[in-house]
Amino acid sequence: MYTLAFTLLCATLALSVFGGLFSLAALGRPAGASRNPRLAEAIGLVITLLLTAASGILTRALFISDFSVTYVASYTDLALPVFYKLTAFWAGQAGSLLFWAFSVSLCGTIFQLSSSYAHLSAATRHWYWVFYLAVMGFFGLLLCAWSNPFLLSPVTPPDGSGLNPLLQNPGMIFHPPLLFLGYGGFTIPACLALAQALSGTRDRGEPSWGVVSRPFTMSAWALLSAGIILGAWWAYMELGWGGYWAWDPVENASLIPWLVATAALHTLIIETRRGKLRAANIFLICLTTLSAFFATYLVRSGVVQSVHAFGSDGVGTPLLLFVLVGTVFCACVARIGRDVRARSLAGLESREGFLVMTAWLLILLAAIILVATMWPVFSSWFGKSIGLKADFYNRVCMPLFAGLVALLAVCPWLRWDGGLRDRLLFVLVLGVFAGSMAGLWYFEYRLPTPVLGAAAGTAVLAGMVLLCLKSGVSRFTLSVCGIHAGVALMAIAIAFSGPYKTEKDLILKAGEKDTVGPYTVTLQKLFVGEGPGFDYLEGQLLVSRDGKKVGILAPQRRIYDKWHSMQFAEASTLFSLGDEIYASLLAVDTQNNVQFRVSLNPFVNWLWIGGALLSLLPFLILGTRRAAQKKEDN
Amino acid sequence: MSKSLGKTPYIAALLLIFCGVGALFFTGISEDSAYFLNVAEAHAMTPDKLKDARLFGTVAENMLARSADGHTTTFLLEDKDTPATTMPVLYSGVTPDTFKAGAEVIIEGSLAGDGVFHAKTIMTKCPSKYKKENRKS
Repeated sequence: MYTLAFTLLCATLALSVFGGLFSLAALGRPAGASRNPRLAEAIGLVITLLLTAASGILTRALFISDFSVTYVASYTDLALPVFYKLTAFWAGQAGSLLFWAFSVSLCGTIFQLSSSYAHLSAATRHWYWVFYLAVMGFFGLLLCAWSNPFLLSPVTPPDGSGLNPLLQNPGMIFHPPLLFLGYGGFTIPACLALAQALSGTRDRGEPSWGVVSRPFTMSAWALLSAGIILGAWWAYMELGWGGYWAWDPVENASLIPWLVATAALHTLIIETRRGKLRAANIFLICLTTLSAFFATYLVRSGVVQSVHAFGSDGVGTPLLLFVLVGTVFCACVARIGRDVRARSLAGLESREGFLVMTAWLLILLAAIILVATMWPVFSSWFGKSIGLKADFYNRVCMPLFAGLVALLAVCPWLRWDGGLRDRLLFVLVLGVFAGSMAGLWYFEYRLPTPVLGAAAGTAVLAGMVLLCLKSGVSRFTLSVCGIHAGVALMAIAIAFSGPYKTEKDLILKAGEKDTVGPYTVTLQKLFVGEGPGFDYLEGQLLVSRDGKKVGILAPQRRIYDKWHSMQFAEASTLFSLGDEIYASLLAVDTQNNVQFRVSLNPFVNWLWIGGALLSLLPFLILGTRRAAQKKEDN
Repeated sequence: MSKSLGKTPYIAALLLIFCGVGALFFTGISEDSAYFLNVAEAHAMTPDKLKDARLFGTVAENMLARSADGHTTTFLLEDKDTPATTMPVLYSGVTPDTFKAGAEVIIEGSLAGDGVFHAKTIMTKCPSKYKKENRKS
């Protein structure tokens, strides 16, 4: 059964190579290029079937707990609930790669069967298959050669190793598939962009790849955003240190594709509305996909030490080669695909100019984060390995993020060619910005970057409301305004919950109290108990302010039956849209002195609210074409 | 319109951004960086270079001790590739949940004159392999 599954993976590789070469050969013959690539299309469908079957076999092995498969034994055990057994599919590298390959193949089939595909010229289609099958072939190679999920153990263990309780959490379960769906979703647009660049039929009436593949770019971006935010949420709620982002290499690795993708989304707007930046967009969408592979390289190759990096299995070098060769290749193709007749960009103080600057900042951020994450590697070439701490990223990146929000506050009010769309409303927005700055200053918030970011975010929120009032509430306007409002909310949340967080370690006996900021925290009682599969120690904290009760926090420390030697802190929070109070129980000594870490996190929940808006609203407008857009263009 | 200015404003803006970011970048490199070392590499360096360093290794099986009040932990950090190479570590504070003998850790701190590494932060590796420790029952 598992040899069969492995054979399916090998077949994927073989068929991809065969199909890709066949399409390439067909392009070499003039007659071949004008006929539809039936063989490649058939191979595309077959590959999807093969990967579906292989995924099905792995799923079944997980479901029935077949521990003869090393992968199943490594990540599940008999006591694991069925839900976690099945989602262990993406618990490790081999399964994740299979999942990624499977989702790309699904996207490919959906695209292939769509009417958009039918409107492409034969030449474009041939080229599309060349690139798509190259990617699928690479997946096949990785899965067959270095990352086979169907390896069997010589002796079948009676029970598996089980899933660490830290990971038995909905956030952690959905985080990997969302990321991989996000990474994978950009593959189709990238292949199509390359194809159109080389086929040259775009200027003969063929719809542009940006328009055709918009559902893919939008949904991939939304899913990738959701995956990253979910990871941050999990870190905040589950890990007990009260933070959501540590600038760890693996976190950075997922952010880089997101930044490039966001840049591509915005430059694509310039192309669809104004017909410019064709070459840049081809390169950027390819860079998005390539940076996703690079992210996998960072996480799986062991090149950079990290709390998440999972060590090398041999996939590192092929991934790096793929990324490096791919980048050079795509840059060349992008140049070939440039539009020599495009008008030059409008001035800097136009919507075009601001969108370009937005893209610059995003790409610059991606480059900085990339270089900084790889700094230990680069510096080791010249001496001892030097790494950059979280402070570095905060120092360099936060001002750029604040700058992005500032651009966002202004950009919607500019006309494509330059000048203001609505002077009065823009002045209102500026007023909100200035008022926010003044207000923050008055309330003793004086750090420059957070204040700028928060004020700009508030101005964006005002601007989005005004835009909806001005343009009328259509699905498109609501969605776009909502997404950017989400960005603004996240910016405000980060501006406050990062630098203005208050944290204090308290040591209390039952009945004692202490203060954290303006709040008084009293340890009411300390007791032990039992939950399903674990024993716990709980400390109940009464939180009050000015004598009035605010709430009760109940942080726990748990020992799980199967994980005796480790204790797990379950943090407890008092939800608030203002200061969220967060407590974790760190330790207790023999005299029942309990050590708590209590933190006040201002506005942190707006991060999740903004994130939800950002991730969900794109789905409202996946395919919408706006006739009303013409009204806006001047 | 700015047709007559053409690309100049764009280039100027780009240069401005680069200069600003460059200044931040170089300040950051000098102030927010630390040596990233394995235990073996750390031994090869002089203590004055290790005033602010990040070390990678594994917590040795033995010699893990906590003070009576639980606030101080001492252990031996083993080099991942050559476990025989070790460095004593002293940490004041509460250890992360997944910290135990045999765990892979990343520690930040400085080397004191007595050869003990005083750690300010300990991070344990994400439990990706999800491997349970030896099943004893």
